[in-house]
Amino acid sequence: MSVELSSPDLKTDEMIINMGPQHPATHGVLRLILTLDGEICKHVEPVLGHLHRAQEWQGQNRTWFQYQALIDRVDYLSGMYTSWAMARAAEQIDGLVVPKRAEYLRVILSEMNRITSHLLWLGTYLIDLGAMFGFPFYPFREREKLFDLFEEVAGQRMMFNYIRIGGVLRNPPFGWFDKLKRFTDEFPDRIDEYEAIVTENPIFLKRTKGVGILKKETAMAYGVTGPCIRASGIPLDLRKTKPYSVYPELDFKVQTMDGDGDTWARYMCRIREMRESNEIIRQAIEKIPGGTTEELRKLLGTTGPEKDESKDLDPSFLLMAKKQNAGLRVKAGEGFAAVESPRGTIGCYVISNGSDKAYRFKWRNPSFCNLSVLPELLVGAPIADIMAIFGSIDVILPDVDR
Amino acid sequence: MFALVGRSIESLYQVARGLKTVFKHTVRPPITKNFPDDMPDLPGHFRGRLALAVNPQTSEHLCISCLQCERVCPDKCIQITSHKSPETNKPELIEFKIDHGLCMFCGLCTEVCPTSCIINTNDFEMADYTRESLVYDLKRLTLSQDESAHYFAKKELPMPKPKPPKPAAKPAAPAAAAKPAEDKPEAKPEVKAEAKPQDLPAAPAPESPKKEEQ
Repeated sequence: MSVELSSPDLKTDEMIINMGPQHPATHGVLRLILTLDGEICKHVEPVLGHLHRAQEWQGQNRTWFQYQALIDRVDYLSGMYTSWAMARAAEQIDGLVVPKRAEYLRVILSEMNRITSHLLWLGTYLIDLGAMFGFPFYPFREREKLFDLFEEVAGQRMMFNYIRIGGVLRNPPFGWFDKLKRFTDEFPDRIDEYEAIVTENPIFLKRTKGVGILKKETAMAYGVTGPCIRASGIPLDLRKTKPYSVYPELDFKVQTMDGDGDTWARYMCRIREMRESNEIIRQAIEKIPGGTTEELRKLLGTTGPEKDESKDLDPSFLLMAKKQNAGLRVKAGEGFAAVESPRGTIGCYVISNGSDKAYRFKWRNPSFCNLSVLPELLVGAPIADIMAIFGSIDVILPDVDR
Repeated sequence: MFALVGRSIESLYQVARGLKTVFKHTVRPPITKNFPDDMPDLPGHFRGRLALAVNPQTSEHLCISCLQCERVCPDKCIQITSHKSPETNKPELIEFKIDHGLCMFCGLCTEVCPTSCIINTNDFEMADYTRESLVYDLKRLTLSQDESAHYFAKKELPMPKPKPPKPAAKPAAPAAAAKPAEDKPEAKPEVKAEAKPQDLPAAPAPESPKKEEQ
């Protein structure tokens, strides 16, 4: 996109400006070196690495059991997905079959996590655009409800450490499924509210329509994944294109947008995905083997959690296919697994040599690949649009730098 | 011209629709919680401050100094000092230190604990003025009998067996049996565990004089 803000009479020198690393709208510490001609961006160079924590190296120096607790912190807004990618890679090496109930719990909790991630994006994106009239806190209201549910089942609000190699940690407490059901019933109305405020708002449309157009070819060339590529019209969603876990049993559609793939399309794609995730959760609650925790306990004739793991149980009701202890080992071999996170494809490649530590970890993080397309989008855009475009690709800087 | 008028009316309608939603919220009951006045109702599995439980029935300390939590801690924030009791030939706890300034509240120590001694409490208000005061010693970590009973019920933990008067069949026995089985495959961590105590006493040593100064 090009804006005619300068004429040949008003020739000015190019100016280099640093945006960040301490810029309130860069969602972390990203430095953008902008070369400006007047208002127009001529060249952009993102400088990464301020948050580098050597996550891959740490994976090779910690036991499997310890690394499971750490890996949630890579992408702190969607911790379930990084755990899931690593768990699937390790299960692939071990040849484990995860029990059905555990798979359903994984799907439910990670779809909840997708909703919380998109809700936070929605709130902060509107702050980026300057919508400070209190709206950013509407999404946080729903997010808070989901976090309370996470806290009950996993123990913490964002650093879950819930998905483990071979299953999940524990059954949700009594009443948890009812609360979640109530949430899924009321959540579509809440999305309607957000949409009433934002979607057709003329100011919002002016800021986002036709801004930051990501063409199909560019998106494919740069390896963009997640809502960004789906907003450009490519139905790439690992849940459908390379189904894993119990997603084939659930009925949902890949949300793609027709048209240019501008920032508005990326916004709309995420809104639709939230509705779709809500539907997935609703279906998964219906289909989960063993039903709610109350029903499961009644089935087993126990009141405490100690029988949840007993051997004489229907194998699909179990939670864990591998014993969790400090000396957790994975067979020698190598495995790769990818899951569809709120930001795109998280890939985990791991080589194990059979000891209690991994030999090598390699992560494919969606934020890093999505960020690489940023210079393409920003060249030719005025300064005022930079944050609108950057916010719309939804990167998490710890996920970029690892 | 007509298109412009039409667009303006459409825009005004959309803004009004948004504002209606916003104004609807002004009459809704507040959703925020008055935090210091009404405390959140936390679930039993909430991973808060670490503490050491005592036997809810007999008030005996549950720690058997198996050092599993110290070994599994990814942050190395647990430091246990124990010695072999000359009478019973079993390890005996002397000091237990947790640096909550280092702890990342992953809860791995509570998972590996064979006697459910170390637990995550629901306490999260731990703000303090110095880093030294975040290092909790055995006295500050140990819960009272009532508190232990409360958390054992809330977390649905199995009740520990009371220690028999004769030390021969302590609850330490199953843990001791479990430990060698784990030690064999864990050849490398074992070396580390030996190396670590040399490093660790050096670090807290400068801290302790500071405490005395205070």
